[in-house]
Amino acid sequence: MESKESEYSVKPAAVFEHPLVLTFAQDVKGFLFNHIGALILFVFTCTSVLAVLLIFLFVAREAFPFLGKFSVVEFLTRNAWYPEASEGAEYGALALIVGSVYVTTIALAFSVPIGVLSAIFLSDIVSFKIRGIIKPIIEILAAIPSVAYGFFAVLVLAPWLQKHLGFATGTNALNSSLLLSIMALPTIISVAEDSISATGRDLREASYGLGATRFETMLKVVIPASHSGIIAGVVLGMMRAIGETMVVWMASGNASQIPHPWWDLSQSIRTMTASIAGEMGETVKGSDHYRSLFTIGLLLLVMTLLLNLVSEYFLSRARKSTGKS
Amino acid sequence: MKTVVIRILLVLAILASTNVMAQEKLHIEGSTTVGPIADGFAEVFSKLYPDVAITVNKSGSGTGASALIDSRCDIATMSRFMKEKEFKDAVDKGVFPVAHAIAMDGVCVVLHPSNPITALTTEQVRDIYTGKIKNWKDLGGPDLSIVVISRDTSSGTYETFESFVMNKEKMASNIEYVSTNPQMFGRVESTRSAIGYVGYGFVKSGVKAVTLNKIKPTVQTILNGQYPVSRPLYMFTNGYPKLGSMTHKFISFYLTEDGQEVIEDKGFVPVTNY
Amino acid sequence: MKADLRIIIDKLFTSLTGLAIASMIIALFVILGPMLYRGFGAIVFRGTVEFRKMQIAEFHHGNAEKVKQEAEKTQKVRQVVYDMIHRFRNGIDIEELENRVKDIHRNYGNELQQKDISREQYKELRDFSKEIRDKLIDTFSSDNIEKIKENIDFVLQYEMDERFVETVAIEYFTIARDFLKSSAKIDFEKRDFYAAELEELEDIILRLLGPAPDADTPMLAQKRYGATRLDQTNILFHQLFWKEKWVEQENSVALIKIENSRPEQFAGTELEPLFGYIKDNIKQMLNPKLTFYWRYFFDDSTPGHYFGGIGPEIFGTLLLTLLSMIFVIPFGVISAAYLTECTKEGPVVRIIRMCINTLAGVPSIVFGLFGMAFFVLFFIPIFGGPSQPCILAGSLTLAVLTLPVMIRASEEAIKTVPQTYKEASLALGASKFLTFVKVTLPAALPGILTGIILSLSRVAGETAPILFTAGIAIGPIPKSIFQTTRTLSYGSWDMAVSDKLAAEVPHNQFGMVVTLVLLILCLNAMAIILRARVFKKLKGH
Repeated sequence: MESKESEYSVKPAAVFEHPLVLTFAQDVKGFLFNHIGALILFVFTCTSVLAVLLIFLFVAREAFPFLGKFSVVEFLTRNAWYPEASEGAEYGALALIVGSVYVTTIALAFSVPIGVLSAIFLSDIVSFKIRGIIKPIIEILAAIPSVAYGFFAVLVLAPWLQKHLGFATGTNALNSSLLLSIMALPTIISVAEDSISATGRDLREASYGLGATRFETMLKVVIPASHSGIIAGVVLGMMRAIGETMVVWMASGNASQIPHPWWDLSQSIRTMTASIAGEMGETVKGSDHYRSLFTIGLLLLVMTLLLNLVSEYFLSRARKSTGKS
Repeated sequence: MKTVVIRILLVLAILASTNVMAQEKLHIEGSTTVGPIADGFAEVFSKLYPDVAITVNKSGSGTGASALIDSRCDIATMSRFMKEKEFKDAVDKGVFPVAHAIAMDGVCVVLHPSNPITALTTEQVRDIYTGKIKNWKDLGGPDLSIVVISRDTSSGTYETFESFVMNKEKMASNIEYVSTNPQMFGRVESTRSAIGYVGYGFVKSGVKAVTLNKIKPTVQTILNGQYPVSRPLYMFTNGYPKLGSMTHKFISFYLTEDGQEVIEDKGFVPVTNY
Repeated sequence: MKADLRIIIDKLFTSLTGLAIASMIIALFVILGPMLYRGFGAIVFRGTVEFRKMQIAEFHHGNAEKVKQEAEKTQKVRQVVYDMIHRFRNGIDIEELENRVKDIHRNYGNELQQKDISREQYKELRDFSKEIRDKLIDTFSSDNIEKIKENIDFVLQYEMDERFVETVAIEYFTIARDFLKSSAKIDFEKRDFYAAELEELEDIILRLLGPAPDADTPMLAQKRYGATRLDQTNILFHQLFWKEKWVEQENSVALIKIENSRPEQFAGTELEPLFGYIKDNIKQMLNPKLTFYWRYFFDDSTPGHYFGGIGPEIFGTLLLTLLSMIFVIPFGVISAAYLTECTKEGPVVRIIRMCINTLAGVPSIVFGLFGMAFFVLFFIPIFGGPSQPCILAGSLTLAVLTLPVMIRASEEAIKTVPQTYKEASLALGASKFLTFVKVTLPAALPGILTGIILSLSRVAGETAPILFTAGIAIGPIPKSIFQTTRTLSYGSWDMAVSDKLAAEVPHNQFGMVVTLVLLILCLNAMAIILRARVFKKLKGH
């Protein structure tokens, strides 16, 4: 590290020994180098695509026999999850799908405002020094393992909710979404803050120069300018919340019901990930139940893919509108 | 940074290249319920045979079974018997699972200690789990709506409870599910209106086990089958292990007095009686 | 007016952002505070002599000679307790007493057979012993004090009898005397009650002081020692004096918890002084000392983590985390470089980015199963590795898991590098590659380090992916990356889900979680310091 830094600071970035006009051979070499280099980089980049494809393939292979045997429509629209009933096992995953969407939405409702506000606080309001202190503190939140969050949910938060808010059960939608939002926050803040502070000083100064308050500058100039990073952060945070297993498994109560009435957060719900985690280990490999869990996994993958499509769509629209103005 | 990375790589290379000593190994995989017994046995064996590397993994009965089928473990611990499909898969791969019932476990219905109810019948418990009885008032208890908690549907504990109590009726959709015995204990201990069921070892101060059909869950009633909801816990091996082999010693340890002591200490009911 | 409103809104907004940060920090303290407090209890606590005994016997740490002396000293004080219980039991446990006199009779018979005596003599002595035996058995089951006194007196008159002196039969008389003494103070009606109570009491004392020196050594380490820590001692001490009971209360159906005094239950019996004695001598019996158990971070543990430390877990976690970082950092940075520098926004990039985001949403348990199916059963065997769960497979799985975080963070970081830097470099004639390595990458390093921090934290704390690919609950320390390992995350999960005894050692459970957090923090601290340095440098230029 030391040696590299000093090298970096002493030597110029490029050495002017060569003539500025390239020979034909150099030109070709440069061209090839550039393209082969790009190709290599492309191959590396494709590992993540490959990983997704492999996971897709793997999950789909396990899920496919189930889809052939049972009706997909019934799987998606019925609310009856009795995979291990002695007679007439039923696989209606509606409640699980609703549960996943439900907790994730509530978690985001908590974490997006807090996350974006915190990111603004860090990038625009406090001094550099305090920011240097607070940022690592937030990263500690990311360092807490999900098992620890699970403990907190079951041993501390659930009894507290029962005692002080009078809930019949403390492991419920509110409990799990609160924890999910805390878990998603570090990702949202970190990525959003990076992109907000990356927005040029000139933009802000122009806005302030026109007499805008900080609030107006943020809302109308900085946030629109850094929306891509903010959305990236939110998407990553959301993915974290949807894919999170351990905490929802411990904190949500795992009752396979659709919350009724929908605004009542004190009810237990069950998410797709929790069903997979809770039942996968014990069930018979290759059985209908096993395959149904993979079908849930497949559904989850498809859902995240769709979510990504939606966010991409909004991103490109936002890009277009900013491009025009 | 670079030097640090290189150093780490070097250490890893050394780690990778070190010849793994030709050591006798015993890998046990499977149920989280039976896991503690395997832990206990492993503790005793590590003292008796320090040269043997015993590894225990607790990833679930199904995973244990599939590990045995793929010959990835020597012993699969299971809280349920192997299913037909698992047997077929095993035989197809040339593995012949042999069951060793090493201990018994009673599934006890537990309430919060503040609940005045001390006796329930299987019919009443079934009605609670199907949602027909919704308030403790209906059973002579306090006016509190019942928080019904069940174990995850694929656990052996659930299966035992379901087959002995539910009589093929389906549980209501609003009941909570927890994944492990300690969690169940924690939930019932902290919830006044809760009902749940746990393994016999988890009936301790903090929750109250009720009598089921007037029979109190004790070591005796579980062992002689009087208590209606009890089940054996298994270890499965590929064929009966070669006599004198480490696997054989391990799976027959439950027959000894020491093995019985370990099983009792871990909160289960031994099948032997010294 | 409007200006005022704007200012108010602005102020409100500022305080709202502050509030957001404050609520996060509060959340951090609420979650981490109790955990830290309990976790530190694993390292700093008041350890009793039982702790030191355990350390010597199980882990060979400490001064054996000194501990032995200490143990002997405490044993002297404890013996009184054991004797008291023993005597009391002689007064109530009829079955045990009957068995003992039967044993004596049998042994006496055996002893006689060894002696050189005639057959008639043998028969006579045996019959006499039998008479004494039957008299005693008769006495034990009687609840008439007069009859007991009479019978015991009858037996005791033979105490000096030459037929019994220097034989095993002499024990008849100790039993008889003990029984008389304790039965004089006992209400015979309450015998069964006392027996049940005594059992509970003995269980508490067993857990407080450990098994008596003459008892069999239990098979499991957790039963071999008494309370090793003062906090356990205090709980047991409370239980010793107060018996928890749930009773009915007025005008409510629900039961209420009350605590009955245990000494009162034994009032008037020979066991009554026991409580006072324990109260006065608890310090001498357990000798608690402030202990700083730094070896917690290095020691192995007994299976189930009842005693000992988390050395193998720390080692395994570090190994898995660093190895997966080695895999993920190059891939993450290169992918980010490609996405930001080498291509324009287009369908290909969009697809790639979508894949990356999708990867971030895959539940961790699916990663575990995928890792099992792909790395363990397919990928590693291709290169001649064993088709077994191992550290390599686990770290590869974790690397895939955290790839999206790494890529997205690096991408954002590279994007933030001002275009002017790159243009300056390019204008100077540097190639694209050189520009990236020498200009963009150093400038983007802070953001990349943020990505590393985030992914590191994620990797070290994951349980489900390593459940099927690398983790075990019990096993030796790995000697190569082709073996399985224990990790902190799996260990704390294992303690939470499987064993009922884990609830008795919460400090170990929290100790593990806190160590995991601290370990990640240490790793993060390196990255944070590095980031600060790079940042400073960047600002300086």
